[in-house]
Amino acid sequence: MAFGQYVNLDFDQIKTSIKDYLRSNTNFTDYDFEGSNLSIIIDALAYNTYTTAYNTNMAANECFLDSATLRENVVSLARNIGYVPRSRRSARAKVSFNVSGLTETSTLTLNSGVVCNGAGENTNYIFCIPEDITVPVTNGFAEFSNIEIYEGVFVSENFTVDTSLFNQRYVLDNSFIDTSTIKVKVKSSSTATSSVTYKQIDNIVGVTSTSNSYLLQEIEDERYELIFGDNVIGRKLSNNNYITASYIVTDGKDGNGAAEFSFVGNITNQDGAAINASLISLVSTDERSRDGDEIESISSIKYFAPRIYSSQYRAVTSSDYESVLGYIYPNVESVTAFGGEEMSPPRFGKVFISVKPRNGDFLSDETKRELVQRLKSYAVAGIVPEFIDLKYLYVELKVNPYYNPSLNDDQENLKTGVSNALTQYSRSIDVNKFGGRFKYSKAVSLIDSVDSSITSNITLVTIRRNLKAVLGQFAQYEICYGNMFHTQESSYNVVSTGFTIEGVTETVYLADEVINRDKGRIFFFTYTEGGTPNIIKKNAGTVDYMHGEILIDTVNILSTVIANNVVEIQAIPHSNDIVGLRDLYVKFDMSNTTINMIQDLIASGENTSGSRFVHTHSYYTPTFTRKSNSPVATGSALLPSTASSTGTTTSSSGTYATSTTTSSTPTTTTTSSGGGGGSSSGGGY
Amino acid sequence: MASRAFKDINLSFKRHPVTNDVVAIRDEDAIKRSVKNIIFTTLGEKPFVPQFGSVINESLFDLNTELSEIRITDEIRSSLLNYEPRIDNVIVNVTVSPDTNEMNCVVQYSIVGLPSPSQSVDVLLFPARV
Repeated sequence: MAFGQYVNLDFDQIKTSIKDYLRSNTNFTDYDFEGSNLSIIIDALAYNTYTTAYNTNMAANECFLDSATLRENVVSLARNIGYVPRSRRSARAKVSFNVSGLTETSTLTLNSGVVCNGAGENTNYIFCIPEDITVPVTNGFAEFSNIEIYEGVFVSENFTVDTSLFNQRYVLDNSFIDTSTIKVKVKSSSTATSSVTYKQIDNIVGVTSTSNSYLLQEIEDERYELIFGDNVIGRKLSNNNYITASYIVTDGKDGNGAAEFSFVGNITNQDGAAINASLISLVSTDERSRDGDEIESISSIKYFAPRIYSSQYRAVTSSDYESVLGYIYPNVESVTAFGGEEMSPPRFGKVFISVKPRNGDFLSDETKRELVQRLKSYAVAGIVPEFIDLKYLYVELKVNPYYNPSLNDDQENLKTGVSNALTQYSRSIDVNKFGGRFKYSKAVSLIDSVDSSITSNITLVTIRRNLKAVLGQFAQYEICYGNMFHTQESSYNVVSTGFTIEGVTETVYLADEVINRDKGRIFFFTYTEGGTPNIIKKNAGTVDYMHGEILIDTVNILSTVIANNVVEIQAIPHSNDIVGLRDLYVKFDMSNTTINMIQDLIASGENTSGSRFVHTHSYYTPTFTRKSNSPVATGSALLPSTASSTGTTTSSSGTYATSTTTSSTPTTTTTSSGGGGGSSSGGGY
Repeated sequence: MASRAFKDINLSFKRHPVTNDVVAIRDEDAIKRSVKNIIFTTLGEKPFVPQFGSVINESLFDLNTELSEIRITDEIRSSLLNYEPRIDNVIVNVTVSPDTNEMNCVVQYSIVGLPSPSQSVDVLLFPARV
């Protein structure tokens, strides 16, 4: 018998293989007994094979980007394809303060280094600036306005170039550096007074032999090394050149959220003399600290390095934008980009980008502007990137689990278990992303597996978008769901929460009326709980069931029942699997998901004939209005017809029982689109 | 267990004067060697079999109490029964002599399936430096 190939790293299997070999090739017999001398030899052989195989496996794994596990190796492999992993990022805040009562002072300089103390959660953080800021003094008054300060400690390091040394390296001593704050200045010698600023580059496009530039690379222990030119690519440093590298060592994302700052910096006048601290005003916060982040993780490097390489640092296709954006803005949880030609109507020459940041729902206008500027150095000339706020497509469930009370009669406990399982699913990557998909079968099986006492479940899915009303203005609204609607009834397939419109004193709701399989019309109506709807406007818009789009004609919405000027509009999806199309971000809404535990009398043996079994409707029981658990608008006289006494639940909805084509004369119409109306602002968010 | 011949390698790796092959040990000797290996192996020494061996080496530096003899006896006996299926009727007799810093361990057993008389392994442990 020949030796077999070792196909895994299992010691026992290696040992068995050696024993098998001995069994057929030797006249010794005692290899099967653990105490025998042969067993000792076999142990030694197997252990040797095991360690060799393990080391070979580890070494081979570390040779490839996909399988490497040590950060140094992952970074090194990424370096081979020109990728520099992101460093830690300082949290950045914006503050303002002024200095008054100055005499004989023409300019003031806020020196680089510590500027403020910022109060974070349970601790304080130091905020710095990487470069001096000089402002003029007018009538004894100087203002430092909207200054961007960086969380962390300002550090400066010096190197003297010694060309007699072979392979001299310029390694920054500290870990946790925010590399975007690195400033490198080079003087001809340590005693020289003037210096040249060197620019950090991440590729060699446009770099000449005289460019004052340097490259940065991550080395061991998450530290960084400066690499200067060789007179071919970038200017070469000369002997005795004196390098000063300053940077900020940061706590990363821990520094986010500081909102109150106190000045601890150093301000000097034009002569370099420090000014009296009593002349400095209190610091006002223009923007609390944000965007602090940890060093790029290994998994992120593995994901982005090949993608950035394939895009060659150029944003050409929409997926390039997604890669580049993840590279230049680390605070991205999910991103989608698509060309304007995909819009309806098309908007050529534009790329639309929607970003879900990690710590919030929307990007600030400031961040959007900044990102547009940074994207310009990657984008093709003539193509304008435009950021659009992401639009949430909410998925809500109505869950009816059947349970066997003989196995578990704690209904509340089971309900909590189902709720926890769904909450867990709601946080999964399946749904919370662009292009995400709510998978009905996954959710349903998850409910069944919560407890052995749950015998089955009947779960209904609805989708919802929030219409952000422009109050007091005439506006048209278009709300896209990106999923085909199901038209179960002739009307009330699409229902909403309440709002008021100009000319109508009561709370108004909207709903649809089916014209044909593809189209429907929107109508407005008032409704009192238990009564019948009173239609006040028959043609208030259209519904495209096939594409899942609702268009509301020009209307002046004055207030809404739900807080934040929101009208929630729900629809029944044609498919139970909900897809986030283009810029729609699928979000599983647990607050509007209901769980109704039902006893399975057949399984429990209480009623084996099934005569008393509680049947649950597998289809929707239509309602006139939407029932929502979202917070209601505060301080508003507007309340739904059946607002609960807690003030937090807007229960509504009588059951739709009969035909509701109640003819009613429109009391007021707001169809006029003249004047300032007719603007197409608005839409869902 | 049916009677059969046991043949193990000798760790001295001496050459057989006649066959020029490596010297082998057989039957009772092979089993006795195995018993000794089990007794002298420290727990955790054998790769991936942490329970293999006995505590006899570690016990050398323990305090001598009345429980010491019982514990060592039990440990050796259970190890032999677990890892040496060729022996049976195991009797372990441990005698600790605190005055001479010695521990004497006598293991008696019979071989399963072989008509050989009861075997005995005598182990005397004493410190090399007193």
